[in-house]
Amino acid sequence: MSFNAADLQGVLPAIILSVGALFLLTSEVFLRNVRPAVLGHAGGIPTSPAERVEAKLPPGAQGASPSAVTPPDRRYQAWVAAAFAALGLWASLAQLGDPAIAIFNGTAASDGFARVVAAVVCGSLLLSCLVAFGYLEALRATRGEFYALALFSASGMCLLGQATDLIVIFIALEVMSLAVYCLSAYLRRGNRPAEAAFKYFVLGSFASAIFLYGAALAYGATASTRLVDIAAALRGGGSGLLWAAAALLVVGFAFKVAAVPFHMWVPDVYDGAPAPVTGFMAAAVKVAAFATLVRILLGGFGDPVAALGAHGWQRLVVWLAGLTMVVGNLLAIPQRSVKRMLAYSSIAHAGYLLVAVAAMAGPLPRQDAIGGLLFYLASYGATVIGAFGVVAIIERKLALSGAGDDLSSWAGLSERHPALAAAMSLFMVSLAGIPPTAGFMAKLTVFRAAVSAELVPLAVLGVLTSVGGLYYYLRVVVYVYMMPTTKPDAVMGERLVAAGLALIGCAVLVVWMGVQPGAFASVAQNAVAVFSR
Amino acid sequence: MDTDSAYLQPYLPILVLLLLAGVMCFAISILAGYLGPKRTFPIKETAFECGSPTTGDPHSRHSVKFYLVALLFIVFDIESVFIYPWGALLRDFAAQGLGWFAYLEMLSFMATLALGLVYVWRKGALEWS
Repeated sequence: MSFNAADLQGVLPAIILSVGALFLLTSEVFLRNVRPAVLGHAGGIPTSPAERVEAKLPPGAQGASPSAVTPPDRRYQAWVAAAFAALGLWASLAQLGDPAIAIFNGTAASDGFARVVAAVVCGSLLLSCLVAFGYLEALRATRGEFYALALFSASGMCLLGQATDLIVIFIALEVMSLAVYCLSAYLRRGNRPAEAAFKYFVLGSFASAIFLYGAALAYGATASTRLVDIAAALRGGGSGLLWAAAALLVVGFAFKVAAVPFHMWVPDVYDGAPAPVTGFMAAAVKVAAFATLVRILLGGFGDPVAALGAHGWQRLVVWLAGLTMVVGNLLAIPQRSVKRMLAYSSIAHAGYLLVAVAAMAGPLPRQDAIGGLLFYLASYGATVIGAFGVVAIIERKLALSGAGDDLSSWAGLSERHPALAAAMSLFMVSLAGIPPTAGFMAKLTVFRAAVSAELVPLAVLGVLTSVGGLYYYLRVVVYVYMMPTTKPDAVMGERLVAAGLALIGCAVLVVWMGVQPGAFASVAQNAVAVFSR
Repeated sequence: MDTDSAYLQPYLPILVLLLLAGVMCFAISILAGYLGPKRTFPIKETAFECGSPTTGDPHSRHSVKFYLVALLFIVFDIESVFIYPWGALLRDFAAQGLGWFAYLEMLSFMATLALGLVYVWRKGALEWS
């Protein structure tokens, strides 16, 4: 046993994010001492904690009456969280070229794959924090722990990207999931958020339990929780136990990435959670879950000479991918709510990502498939955070007028907000996979990898289902540009600087990755040398 | 498969006993429901609580702070579970040249927990009233 500074340096992004979360938590509880004048406004009781003061507001209180106590100004937290996310992004990118090493006695790895995953997670967090700036205040759901929870979950995601031991994977998974459960319940007034959060919590715990069962079986069959040792044991001859273990581990993560038939929670949760959180979940949780899935399948069960065979788990993933693509796209078509449509679209995209995972089991072009997966995750992250960013802005406007999240409220958006309309159209086009955008290049790389891995039927199915997807993505564009405004919009007054910044960032990334994919693709390719044979 | 069934052979009587017990329970309760005489009258139908009429809704709400107490207990219980073996093994760590590392590691763990305590305290979770 030995420890050195390289161990800590290897988990630097996770450390930075955790320190940021602790800082936010500590600053939050001392807030009322720092600014007593803000809290004790007009006859309030300054000594009672902010939480209770807020609870006294009637549910859905819109314009707080002058006698109500205003909560402390917590908007600085978004900027602090964004700063820590940027620091984590910098830390993961700065280490990108360093050699790959095993850290903490082989329970984790610090390699290019982990660093790219951490970079995508931190980037998603940064953009989501900017999108969320002022959102909770606008919906009158401000409580202090929002950004701290986001930072905690992101640190769990960074750890998930580099864990190579089933126990460390489980701990990182729980750190991520518990924080995200809380985040999805943040708009706690009304039935939908409560239902969403409860569903997510129960089904998520179920998934964790299934994963744990698989880990226990793998340990029973190989007497080790390290992925390396599992691979070594497989080389000596597998057993039925290991088959069951692999299947249970895959099912556990199929829940987390929302693959059909484990997708039931997605629409309700994406619909009930605050829009900035939904964007963060769609982008970052997917990245972390897919990264772990790849590590388990390639690091633990992926050896070509192993007893399960090179195609042992491939058939399982091929079926999951095919089902997910078809069902996700079909169910997205009848959706009237944009948020639910994006939820089903996220299921469909999980299907395309699973195509890349299935292609990794192929004989040779494993590097292409992993590089394609990382590129797809990054491009999907930028696109979906942008799309939910626009939804968040619309939600803020609608919260003032009390209308629902129906397509009809998007009609004629181009007349009222030309910039928002253009951004939404760009993100829809990218999600559909039309050329000058990131979505097209991502789909191209993934399907190309599938073809060279001799999964031609799966690639054909992927192309066909993306054509079907055009319908519901372009319908939003039709509503935005070609439908007349049904009702005059509520006052737009406020200028959303941070959210605007985030949308510009997403749009630039989407176009840049679509026009010049080489720069990003080469980073992703270099990152996957770990899994080469 | 043969080895499995040979291994499970001695447990067969227990399985039979379990099945018999289950069948007996259901059979007796169902038979009693059918055969037993029933004489119901209004007073017999009313809810009954220790010889006196019930007061209020039986499905009352419980205060959530008991759950908070349990949660806090677990957190600090785990702290002591970690610290105890750490204290017992510290000399071994020092012998391997890892003394300072183990010390600083535990310090950072306890500092994190202390921050958590400060958070809980300031949030008012320790005021039971």
